[in-house]
Amino acid sequence: MKKLSVPSDQSPVKKVVSNQNSVISRKEKITLPSPWLLITGNWLLLLIPRFLALRNSLRRQGRGGWLRTLILTCLMVLFWGGAFWFFHRVLVYFHTIPELGPVLSQKLLSMIFLMFLAILLFSNVITGLSTFFLSHDLLLLVPAPVPPARLFTAKFIETLIDSSWTVLLFSAPAFLAYGVVHSGGPAYYVMTLLTIIPFLIIPAALGVIVTMAFAYVLPAHRGKDMLIVFSALFLALLYLFLRLLQPEKLVNPEAFSDFLAFLAAMQTPSSPFLPSTWATETLLPFLGLKEGAPLFYYLLLLSTALFLCVVGSWTATALYPVGWSKAQEGRRRGRQSQWLDTISRGIARLFPVYLRIIIIKDMKTFFRDTGQWSQLFQLLALVVVYVYNFSVLPRSGGFIKPLDSLNFQNIIAFFNLALAGFVIAAITVRFSFPALSLEGKTFWVLKSAPLHLRRWWWSKFWVSLLPLLFFGELLAIITNYFLGVSTFMMILAPVTLLFLTFSIVALGMAIGIAYPNFTAEHSAKIAASFGGVLYMVLSIVLIGLIVVIEAWPVHIVLLRKFQHIPLSPTDWNSIFFSSTLALSLSVGTFLISTHWSIARLEEMEISL
Amino acid sequence: MIQLAQLTKQFGSFTAVNNLNLNVAEGEIFGFLGPNGAGKTTTIRMMMGLLKPTVGRVVLGGYDLARNPLEAKAMSAFVPDRPYIYEKLTGSEFLRFVGGLYQVPAPVCHERIEESLNFFSLADWGDQLVESYSHGMKQRLVVAAALLHDPKILVVDEPMVGMDPIGARLFKSLLRSLTLKGKTVFMSTHSLEVAEELCDRIGIILGGKLIALGTLDELQQLAGTENRLEDIFLKLTAAPDMLEVIEALRA
Repeated sequence: MKKLSVPSDQSPVKKVVSNQNSVISRKEKITLPSPWLLITGNWLLLLIPRFLALRNSLRRQGRGGWLRTLILTCLMVLFWGGAFWFFHRVLVYFHTIPELGPVLSQKLLSMIFLMFLAILLFSNVITGLSTFFLSHDLLLLVPAPVPPARLFTAKFIETLIDSSWTVLLFSAPAFLAYGVVHSGGPAYYVMTLLTIIPFLIIPAALGVIVTMAFAYVLPAHRGKDMLIVFSALFLALLYLFLRLLQPEKLVNPEAFSDFLAFLAAMQTPSSPFLPSTWATETLLPFLGLKEGAPLFYYLLLLSTALFLCVVGSWTATALYPVGWSKAQEGRRRGRQSQWLDTISRGIARLFPVYLRIIIIKDMKTFFRDTGQWSQLFQLLALVVVYVYNFSVLPRSGGFIKPLDSLNFQNIIAFFNLALAGFVIAAITVRFSFPALSLEGKTFWVLKSAPLHLRRWWWSKFWVSLLPLLFFGELLAIITNYFLGVSTFMMILAPVTLLFLTFSIVALGMAIGIAYPNFTAEHSAKIAASFGGVLYMVLSIVLIGLIVVIEAWPVHIVLLRKFQHIPLSPTDWNSIFFSSTLALSLSVGTFLISTHWSIARLEEMEISL
Repeated sequence: MIQLAQLTKQFGSFTAVNNLNLNVAEGEIFGFLGPNGAGKTTTIRMMMGLLKPTVGRVVLGGYDLARNPLEAKAMSAFVPDRPYIYEKLTGSEFLRFVGGLYQVPAPVCHERIEESLNFFSLADWGDQLVESYSHGMKQRLVVAAALLHDPKILVVDEPMVGMDPIGARLFKSLLRSLTLKGKTVFMSTHSLEVAEELCDRIGIILGGKLIALGTLDELQQLAGTENRLEDIFLKLTAAPDMLEVIEALRA
């Protein structure tokens, strides 16, 4: 067998290569080493691609991109301001209650830490499965000669940042409010920063350990699917649990038979073994809320964080190769059950023939995707809490003003209408807004088919609208029944909601089509995008406008009823004008959104 | 059967396809070749209505794609280079869905689904979710879906990517049998052997412009060589430096 060789000295290849070498060696002589070369020997190198990607995307965004960043920043500042105002109000109120106030402040801080701890644990496990087992860069990194410890450190930091930054962002106004109300001083702020770091590391390290164990037993894809369902269920139950605890009773000690027992119960830490308790106990003395041993608790927090990092590294070294190998397995084969086919076909029969195939396809993909259907838990919890809130509103007596006055009841009914609209918008942003984005890279199938995309639009619209309309109307009627509103409001609210639901859903689909995200992993991520935020802002503005416009005729009707005077022609005119304006706004939004989004769909260009 | 007239696509100041004029006759297999970034996929996307031409028009089977998109699309089918399909549907469900989009009557659709699953060796996988398929299986499923409505025109972008030798052989035989039935195939490929083996005519695109068009003999004349398509392609598209490097490596 002949050996392959490149023998000639005059070979152009050699010439090219030698030229390149000479260029490189010349460059090496005259230039200083790149900053990247200084860190190529450690784990930071593995994080550089993400940093560079972020930098490049920030640098290369056009005018629209900067506008988007500006709007998001403004919204963030508004949120921060609102959250700070809320915590500040609550803490100032607690401050005014002698003896019980400091206890309530302590309890609130403990609850904040406990809630963050629970959220962080789940989020770290789910993020860990992605960063350690499912991320695309692993196909490059795992076969490369990267020491396991370096890979673990880089991926651990990636997991920590990805799952913790939102908590850090959302918790900042609360910690700031504590500092301001209790005159924390510089020591408090420094200590808060020092406490947060190990507090974030502990759930991240625990999460990584659980992730490794999970991936050792189950392929990462299936583990992630299961965890998404569990975490959605957990969040829904946590939300229900917190509400059903009736936190309003905390500010009403009279509700407790024995005040001392109440005080004692409040002062007992929830569990001395929880890092959230250690973090709370570290900060309380710096706020002057409690005498204690902050150093002891801080060291406990710090040593646990370091210990768990070491255990996490050991676990990863031992279990990662098996877990990684399992993660490479394809999705499990399994025959699909017939019930979904039967149900989706049954439901599709309710719609025109030309919409059926799309409806069947959508229902199947929805119920087979854990990321999508698991959001129903949160929706259910939202609805239960919503109805519950109205069922426990005191009609008379109690510490909240009685709702006996007809006028006050109707004001609350308007507030309820706005809230119901907001709930519909919140559901729309999760289920209808991502409609186009969820088609993802498969959109070519529809776009290249002989199909008017308006059919696709209407199928998505009706499937979103009908359940929303049903739930929205049910919510409005049940809650208005609990409020005992007048017959006039009992009719006005469902009618308004009917038009509002049409416009809110159409608006959601239009903004979803204007800002599609074909690469997002699941609908929750799409909902949290710029388009999702913009849609929520526009929906709130629309709901607010309609409620404000409608408030005028209702005010006149109630006023005349109270005065026992029949409505004058001027009254009728103003009622007619307001109603027409509200109706036009709703119908106009619906028509513009529908027309624009269908035209945009037909014109849309897609890259595969 | 396929007419591309003055077809141009600009992305900002970059011209991806520049004044492309092309006619493909009925029953012909047309090979569309070009180096990476030459404009092949952009042309195909415009032919399938995924991108709007900046200038020019696409006529499929006598129907202008801009004026009669539904008629033009109904008689054509598309096989993309990457088989992105609904991962949460089973293979059979995906085919049924596509059959519905192209309005294939239910009994005919059912029969064809069974036939094509058997033909593409996917019968055992018909009830499995697409997410459990390999790349090659997905590619075969997309081809099965494309043929479900018995199209007159088949537009294929890099069909052999990810297919095993059996799948590739199956596909080549299928293309031949389709042209015998009078179907027209427009195929973009990097596999010059496939183009040489199958195509009646070949077009070579470079920098968005059609630089060569004709049968293999005509291209040999144009390039002034009697060598294989690979040499013709290199001579027409590769930079002189690169040719030197290739020659050196061959030596």
